[in-house]
Amino acid sequence: MANKQSSDGYGADSIRVLEGLEAVRKRPGMYIGDTAERGLHHLVSEIVDNSVDEALAGHCTEINVVILGDDRISVEDDGRGIPVGPHPTEKRDTLEVVHTVLHAGGKFDRGAYKVSGGLHGVGASVVNALSEEFEVEVRRGGRLWFQRYERGAPATRVEDRGPAKNTGTRTTFSPDPQIFKEVKFKYEIVARYLREMAYLNAGLKIALADERTGKREEFHYAGGIAEFVASLGKSNETLHDVIFFKGVRDGIDAEAALQWTDAIHETVFTYANNIHTIEGGTHLSGLKSALTRTLNSYAQKNNLFAKNKEMRLEGDDTREGLIAVVSVKIPEPQFEGQTKTKLGNSEVEGVVAALVNERLGEYFEKNPGVAKRIVGRAVEAATAREAARKAKELVRRKGALDSGSLPGKLADCQERDPARSELFLVEGQSAGGTAKEGRDRKIQAILPLRGKILNVERARIDKMLSSAELRTLITALGMGVGDEKDLAKLRYHKIVIMTDADVDGSHIRTLLLTFFFRQFIEIIENGYLYVAQPPLFRAKKGKTERYLKDEAALEDYLTDLGVDSVTLETGAGKEAREYKGAALKTLVRKALHHDRMFEALERRSKSRDVIAALARLAADRTVGDASFDSEDAARAMGDAIVKAGGANLAAKVEPDGEARWRVAVTHSNNGRTPPTVIDLATFHSGELREIRRLGADLGAVARPFTLAAGDERRTLESLKAVADAVLAAGQKGVEISRYKGLGEMNAEQLWETTMDPERRTMLKVQISSMEDAEEVFARLMGDQVEPRRQFIEENALNVRNLDI
Amino acid sequence: MRCPICRKEADASPANRFRPFCSERCRTVDLGAWAGEGYRVAGRETEDVEHPDDRPAPKKLLH
Repeated sequence: MANKQSSDGYGADSIRVLEGLEAVRKRPGMYIGDTAERGLHHLVSEIVDNSVDEALAGHCTEINVVILGDDRISVEDDGRGIPVGPHPTEKRDTLEVVHTVLHAGGKFDRGAYKVSGGLHGVGASVVNALSEEFEVEVRRGGRLWFQRYERGAPATRVEDRGPAKNTGTRTTFSPDPQIFKEVKFKYEIVARYLREMAYLNAGLKIALADERTGKREEFHYAGGIAEFVASLGKSNETLHDVIFFKGVRDGIDAEAALQWTDAIHETVFTYANNIHTIEGGTHLSGLKSALTRTLNSYAQKNNLFAKNKEMRLEGDDTREGLIAVVSVKIPEPQFEGQTKTKLGNSEVEGVVAALVNERLGEYFEKNPGVAKRIVGRAVEAATAREAARKAKELVRRKGALDSGSLPGKLADCQERDPARSELFLVEGQSAGGTAKEGRDRKIQAILPLRGKILNVERARIDKMLSSAELRTLITALGMGVGDEKDLAKLRYHKIVIMTDADVDGSHIRTLLLTFFFRQFIEIIENGYLYVAQPPLFRAKKGKTERYLKDEAALEDYLTDLGVDSVTLETGAGKEAREYKGAALKTLVRKALHHDRMFEALERRSKSRDVIAALARLAADRTVGDASFDSEDAARAMGDAIVKAGGANLAAKVEPDGEARWRVAVTHSNNGRTPPTVIDLATFHSGELREIRRLGADLGAVARPFTLAAGDERRTLESLKAVADAVLAAGQKGVEISRYKGLGEMNAEQLWETTMDPERRTMLKVQISSMEDAEEVFARLMGDQVEPRRQFIEENALNVRNLDI
Repeated sequence: MRCPICRKEADASPANRFRPFCSERCRTVDLGAWAGEGYRVAGRETEDVEHPDDRPAPKKLLH
């Protein structure tokens, strides 16, 4: 080392000569990847990287890139300037050596640059070799130095062009059209690269100008990669502000910025010495292992796996929705992989992992709210992953989607045309047997299902459909499930849910309806799903039997029998009238319906007296819509109701919250009865309308009401009492039994009442409003046990209440 | 309408092939819950109410 080093450690003697240049022009692809767009723009990054290296070494703060009008580009920095002067081993100027000798550069000797990017040190000489013209200006030691090259060969000597202030390097070159198919630089590609460099080197200012268009931008990010991550996360809902940390360990600089979003995918960019390591490498694996470890340990410590103790987060779970940038700067990077963009230095993995573990762990401790959101997000991802696995298992197992192997439990029909085929889903083994016996095997198939009983809490029995049953059902339907669904392959166009008319039956029906709604909505939309209506009652009179599907049918039947044996005489003198047969039946039905309307309102805490008074006042137009418009009108209505309804009432006027007024009527002698609130909605209710309509008909019937049965004559107080007496008369000699289960019927009865297409009635399941339907299902399936149970008990016995 | 799984807004029209869910993912989570026997309807009380206070807390369901 005879030559002296310059004071900044970057003198002529730091440049070592390794190899000649000719090979570059012969095989450019080996040096810059390709000679298309990517390779062309790579030239820019080679030159810019040299300036960035100066910045990394702490000698450069600004880089200016200008795309010139004639397809040339210039890159200028305020670094130390490339060394000028006689080279220690070559008999040429060092500046010329840097630009004409391959693998000549300060980067092969760790003295000049602690870390460096560049494309593995080939740098300026490669760009020069591939340029038609290449000029370099160096301001260094108070002088301005210049040299020009053509296709890699010096066209001038290194010229001293006089005094210069400051230091720096400007390189201007035009890509050689003999090498590149296209030599026009694209602004966006250059800008993207420069922006990335500015993000990776916090504080570094990079300006870009395009003289062809006048467009210019400056890239300068004090926040560095944290700002980078924030910009990447802009289009998503983010769970928190960017988390950033950096550290130095074992001579390795590492920094990481992290932000979780609601996206499904992950966006992780890694860099080593400013090179985008597209294939990842040891810094990426360090990040991944640290995230998995940190999130799992936080979840465990804070009991976030409460739903499923066996749950563990996998790496993919922790990175769902993650936007991250990791950047390391290391003295001797090793690049591997297909495109040499995979970091190979094994020591980096531990350094990055330790940094992330430590600093993210700390962050989580300090920000428990954010930590819970992030870990909760990962738990969701793990749940989804587990669900997908189970869903796959459900359909993958032997033949689930192969209609060639139908389940043994299915008693299929002979018909092959789906439009004429029916599938009965029957609850319970015994009922399944009865149905198999009773069916029309030509067109009706039977699949017995059984809700699996689960004694979750010892004191309560929950019901569910086992996965084996669901698999059987899916196979029988034949149209696949999930992504593979094909409605054309559905084997039946009538699918009939047939369950007992008890609570258990309603549970199975609820589960099945929910399953169809969620996973086979097209079956419902096409009107293929039905609910069977087995009879609720059997009435036996003498030798004849009747099946009655519900209370209304029973009432109708008993009324028919009753009016045969009694006569109603009403009024006296000129008004005297006799009702029997069909006329009496009409009157009885009206009286019963009238009463039911009162009952319905009573269930909504509306007193019968008050409603009756309101109906009378509405009939004589004392009360109308206008009675709710003002406080005074409402008060007048309240007074009228009190007057009409009886002395023990009291009325209070109050605003209804929607700019109208309402009246709350209380029974003054009994504070325990809730007040009857009369508002416009009550006034417009269907029940009140019916009460008014029927009340008018019934009111026209003159008293007294005398019921004659044979020789016996009774005078009754009200038409409701008359109706009850008619029903009682009808019930004489009739034995009524209530069916609880399908199994209580024999095969013939089940066929006659429920399955025979000629005689049965079925409810078609319709989605008049999907939203309502889902709300109902959500309540049935909800995790709040109490309201769900109540809801089922109130509604389950009548599927029509399901509002579907 | 709201997606049964994530409760976010979901398109109810046939244009959304994952309806009534918002996405394929939510549909899969639901199917997985059926497959994993995660859905159940609360049933009757049994007679075994001797120690009503030491019952374990109800297992939370997906929905």
